[in-house]
Amino acid sequence: MRSKRMCKIVPPEKWLKTQITRLCLYFLGMGIETAYKNVPQAKREMDTLPDQFSFCFNVVNGPSMMILKNGHTVRYVGEKEAYHADLELVLKNIEFAYLMMTGRISTPDAVYHNRQFVRGNLAYMMTMIRVLNIAQTLLFPNFLLRFYIKTVPRLTMKTMVNRAKAYANATIGLFA
Amino acid sequence: MQKKEECPKYYEFFNSVKIISGYKALDNIASELDMLGARKPIIITDKGVSQAGLIDHVVNSFGGTQVAIGALYDDTPVDSSIVAVNEIAGIYRQQECDAIIAVGGGSVIDTAKGVNIVISEEADDLMKFTGNNRLTKPMKPFIVVPTTAGTGSEVTMAAVIANPARNVKMQFTSPLILPKVAILDPVMTMSMPPKITAATAMDALTHAVEAYIGPQKNPVSDAFAFSAIELIKANIIDAAKNGKDRDVRLAMANASLLAGISFSNSMVGIVHALAHATGGLCHVPHGVANAILLPHGLEFYIKKSPDIAARIGKLLRFFMEPEDYAKIPVNEREKNTVAAIRDINDSLNTLCGLPLTLSQAGVTKDKLEAIASAAINDGAIAFCPVEVSSEDALEILKAAF
Repeated sequence: MRSKRMCKIVPPEKWLKTQITRLCLYFLGMGIETAYKNVPQAKREMDTLPDQFSFCFNVVNGPSMMILKNGHTVRYVGEKEAYHADLELVLKNIEFAYLMMTGRISTPDAVYHNRQFVRGNLAYMMTMIRVLNIAQTLLFPNFLLRFYIKTVPRLTMKTMVNRAKAYANATIGLFA
Repeated sequence: MQKKEECPKYYEFFNSVKIISGYKALDNIASELDMLGARKPIIITDKGVSQAGLIDHVVNSFGGTQVAIGALYDDTPVDSSIVAVNEIAGIYRQQECDAIIAVGGGSVIDTAKGVNIVISEEADDLMKFTGNNRLTKPMKPFIVVPTTAGTGSEVTMAAVIANPARNVKMQFTSPLILPKVAILDPVMTMSMPPKITAATAMDALTHAVEAYIGPQKNPVSDAFAFSAIELIKANIIDAAKNGKDRDVRLAMANASLLAGISFSNSMVGIVHALAHATGGLCHVPHGVANAILLPHGLEFYIKKSPDIAARIGKLLRFFMEPEDYAKIPVNEREKNTVAAIRDINDSLNTLCGLPLTLSQAGVTKDKLEAIASAAINDGAIAFCPVEVSSEDALEILKAAF
């Protein structure tokens, strides 16, 4: 009988982790879109980027999300090919992405641990990191935020309203 | 009680450069090229290096070998530029060279890295490769002979090249641009003037200190940082006093290399972000800006984070005898580390006029806000252990002014 080792081995798909990561990336994309419309600091930051600009946050061989900036419009456009993105933030594998999306490692720690790499202009990445931080403040309650960003901002009424808008946008987007 | 050193939950470390260090180390270039399968290198350097006669040492090292020098380019500008990169790439192709040897300081090495990208990627536009990890093809054999002891460029995976037409500085980062061999021969740094010796040495010290206190530090990068700090502390004053001492020069070249390996993996923080911006906007030499800003950057961290303050405190053991170190209470060590670095700066100021403040370095007060704004967009900010706002950056600059 042939040894089992001689057969082609198909690794497991990690379906659940991929779908959870995909969902988190979707919320993050919608969060960025909402932040641009409603948080002046996010708008100021993104307005410093070129008028025609694309940012892709993806996982190697995994899910991704693309943000397009066209003049003064910022849109989350779902999963698109990262090939033409001006700036790419790439997580090295789905395990790292899953840990990051579920708050088990913070975004800064993912950077410090080299669990990600950047393709494109670093100065633009610094801007996008600040925008991602703002988007995350819209997506998570303050007691969870410390798992995602370096400094948790004070909770204000404005933030709570913006959070409601971010979730409303994301929910509408899910069924659109 | 002193805080226990923790191993990070996850880290990566990479450096593939072969290091050849010592007297007559230069004589290995031909055999190293032979092992890399190259016979016709281009030598890239600048006017300062060639006028100091240093390039003769390199050329003479090929005597009696099969290697022919394909071309010698000594027009590299003070700030590495895309114009020089394209010109050198043209010469490389025309002369059918098969390897690159960079002989010089940071600008020459960065220019050579740019040339290697253009040649190896068979590209006509370097801009396409700006940023991190854009390179995909294996690079040409590349040997570096540093003539300063500070930048550590011979072992780092980054290059900064200016594009004067667009008035931008492009950054290239990829493990692929690491040289194959770094050759440290004391004869190449002996003619460095005291002030440049002092500034570059402080640059190396800043690399090592920031590499150790940064959040991406790991046990391997720490080992390199500690060795660098030990060598710098032991030799920095002697190097500025007596540049002809070969042992001191070799020690400083090694310190710079060790600090380079360390920070290339664990990155640098607020001091470098501010120094890059100060250099970009006010043309203050990088080493001088680092020397001025290092104590102020450390004081900022001490104020912001007790954990980072504890790390800074641990560095004190490299600046004093063990029995004196033991006498200082744990919670006072960080302040003493900053004081020890200030003492070095003061000594270098007395010895060779190294500026102690930004105003002495020619920065005007009206530039501080612009420097702070530029600094918070510098890549090094992402590796600061604490969040840094432009107000924080401005506060540090005002203190250093």
